[in-house]
Amino acid sequence: MTTDTTVGVIGAGNWGTTLAKVLGENGKRTLLWARREDLCREINETRQNSQYLPGFTLPSSIEATHDLERICRGASLILAVVPSHTMRETARELGNYLTGEHVVVHATKGIEQGSFKRMSEVLREETCLRKIGVISGPNLAKELAARQPTGTLVASRYDEVFQRTHRALHNDYFRVYQGRDVVGAEVGGGFKNIIALAAGVAAGLGLGDNTKALLLTRGLSEMARFGAAMGAEVLTFGGMAGMGDLIATCSSPLSRNHQVGARLAKGEKLEDIQREMRMVAEGVKMAKAAHDFAVKKKLDLPIVAAVYRLLYEHHEVPLLLKELMSIPAGPEFAALSP
Amino acid sequence: MRPEHRERARIEAATRVVDRYVASLRPPEEVGLEALVSDTLYHERRRLERERNDPRAAEDHAFYQKVQRRLRHASARDLRELLDQIALRFASEIVGNFDDRVYKLSTTVIPTGLSVLLTAMSPGKLGSLGSLRGGLAEHVQIQGEVDHVRKLLDAGTLVVVPTHSSHLDSIVLGYAVHLMGLPPLLYGAGLNLFNNPVTSFFMNNLGAYRVDRKKSAAIYKDVLKEFATVALELDYNNLFFPGGTRSRSGAVEQKLKRGLLGTGVRAYVGNLQSNRDKPNLFVVPCTISYKLGLEAETLIDDHLKEVGKNRYIIEDDEFSRPRQVLNFLSNLVSLDSRVVITFSRPLDVVGNYVDEDGQSLDPRGRVVDPASYVCQDGEPVHDHQRDEEYTNELSRAIAREFLRDNVAMSTHVVGHALLEMIRRENPDMDLYRLLRTGGRAPSVTLGELARESERVVGALRRSPRGPRLSDELGRDPEQVVDDALRAFGTYHAHPAAVRRGERVFHEDRNLLLYYANRLKGYDLSSASAASTASAGGAAA
Repeated sequence: MTTDTTVGVIGAGNWGTTLAKVLGENGKRTLLWARREDLCREINETRQNSQYLPGFTLPSSIEATHDLERICRGASLILAVVPSHTMRETARELGNYLTGEHVVVHATKGIEQGSFKRMSEVLREETCLRKIGVISGPNLAKELAARQPTGTLVASRYDEVFQRTHRALHNDYFRVYQGRDVVGAEVGGGFKNIIALAAGVAAGLGLGDNTKALLLTRGLSEMARFGAAMGAEVLTFGGMAGMGDLIATCSSPLSRNHQVGARLAKGEKLEDIQREMRMVAEGVKMAKAAHDFAVKKKLDLPIVAAVYRLLYEHHEVPLLLKELMSIPAGPEFAALSP
Repeated sequence: MRPEHRERARIEAATRVVDRYVASLRPPEEVGLEALVSDTLYHERRRLERERNDPRAAEDHAFYQKVQRRLRHASARDLRELLDQIALRFASEIVGNFDDRVYKLSTTVIPTGLSVLLTAMSPGKLGSLGSLRGGLAEHVQIQGEVDHVRKLLDAGTLVVVPTHSSHLDSIVLGYAVHLMGLPPLLYGAGLNLFNNPVTSFFMNNLGAYRVDRKKSAAIYKDVLKEFATVALELDYNNLFFPGGTRSRSGAVEQKLKRGLLGTGVRAYVGNLQSNRDKPNLFVVPCTISYKLGLEAETLIDDHLKEVGKNRYIIEDDEFSRPRQVLNFLSNLVSLDSRVVITFSRPLDVVGNYVDEDGQSLDPRGRVVDPASYVCQDGEPVHDHQRDEEYTNELSRAIAREFLRDNVAMSTHVVGHALLEMIRRENPDMDLYRLLRTGGRAPSVTLGELARESERVVGALRRSPRGPRLSDELGRDPEQVVDDALRAFGTYHAHPAAVRRGERVFHEDRNLLLYYANRLKGYDLSSASAASTASAGGAAA
């Protein structure tokens, strides 16, 4: 099997930089693509990414570049870590340099607005790739960058994709598990952001752990319903990319989506929050995509609907909470029964 | 297949399969070898019990008795020898008694013979050989990427993968390939076709090798696949029916069998490893569309009776009755109806489109080197799991092309429209009861049926996934209905629907379902409900 002495990472945001850091610490030469030349310069000259991963020194084996062609020529294993709204454009450009031998694993949470396409579908539509995978799990970038133990799921239809990614990323603080349900891993990773946003609202309102647990379990149920409608295996949502990611994201104030929810609960405007946060909160886009999909497919997703109304129709939080709590409660797994 | 190639393919297929088995065994080797031989004995004996009356069974029986006797005290070396013998025996049967001289003759004679067969029902068309060919050509319409396919012949080896709804398919396609000026295609035909009075001549003398679907031993299936792989490596253009068997429901196949399809990527890797001059393989999806289904009654009955467990082999259908075949062909000619063969855009072995020069293209039209898909560190390698996934990708691409290039005809549209109207009239009845009883009213008005048919044609025109529409669907809705009713009335023992006065009576709703199912897979909005309840779709 191909020896990946060099690995490419597309996207130097906090998650992309963190994955590059793990690769570098595993002894891999890592080519990290950033759109901006000044960011490349900062990483190469100071070993810091002060904007997206402040406080961490990056290994010397990481080289930042804004030359996609160079990355594709230098590495046949590539991690794509760009925001969902730029994936198509980036993939199209990558497609100029990729061959059938390349393995691309994306770590992008979310689905494409309007088309409801998953990121692996976007990659497939824009490139010659077949060997595509997704990485998803309870992976808060700062904790992983600090080498705190965690795990993740790499899902792909191709064993080779898992094996090579596992060899590149797995170490004594980062456990890499194998999955085949690409749809489930992608849906879980994107959908959890909506629930994290709702959990942030609950935290912002000062609600306690019971409320949070209710939100998480019913959120997981909605995730499974949504995933099943997209073709995922329900079991996936009980694992790393479902429950695991949901717990991490909803429990942590580090999560951007959580932060957006908490600030909304305190009466701040979405536009103001987004302007101040320089990183993308995927839950904001995902809530719209999931809501539109649910309407189209006639899926009953009350938490998604409430988050959507909060973000896009400016409904009041107390009213939304009251509405959610007035929904009749029936058999717990009714909506998941065949 | 040339005699020297035939022998090479026979030996190569058997040896590769046994070598692969042996390489995968864990020590002690004899345990695994004995398990393989015993498993084959078990499956073959079960088959022979079911085929006691078959004259060929006695020979097989004697062979396996010998195997059984040797098995008792066999060393590892003996076991390997037994496995070799079994594999070679299977390979010999697959290759068959193929006479190259007869083959050469038949590739010239058979198309003419087929012309005679098809035009015999239309005496006015009898005449010189040239006009006979013209007569048949009028009823076999070939369209799509014909020139593209012809060009690719110079750039590599073709694998033609058609839809399958009738035993006539291989004959009609063989004829189409001849008309296109392509060399005959090698294909695996069921043993039942070699025994069938109508087809045995064609099967024995055209490029068919034998496939015995009653043989369930794993080693038999592997030898069969390996034979196809070697044939591709030897540059024989192949024909596989990727649906595996005739579509029972009438629907265009969407779940394809990966077995033979997977030989494409295996052969491609083999070609690259042996540095063949033109290693590329081109997969050509092809839809064969009939206005009437020769075996429609048997197939849909089988589909409805045995949903989920269809009989894989049917030996007593319309195709086994020469009179019925002649009747069907006669209708084909007298109805002025056509068999439409559409060649879709060719694909490479991982499902990319290829251009006219044989270059693979990515979805954005950029040239891709297909070898890069099967290389590791620059070297072509077999990887079973990877190649299975490539074959899945390929089968999805073929299924997409099938839907796009399927040709909708008046019988499909009117079958769908009428069934949908019956279903709307009886919302409380499940499909099976509806098919049996016909619901509350035995008829609909002609005008309503024409309007519903027009709506279905409109939905088909808007559907981004296909199908193509046959010329008759461009006429007035009333003429479309007339055309379908005329076709329904001429061939089947009980017409699917008949017109009496200004009303249309549904007589055989199973047949309506069969024809309606040809439009399964397209978004026909509310009209889709009845036909999509086909419970199982194309038979696997």
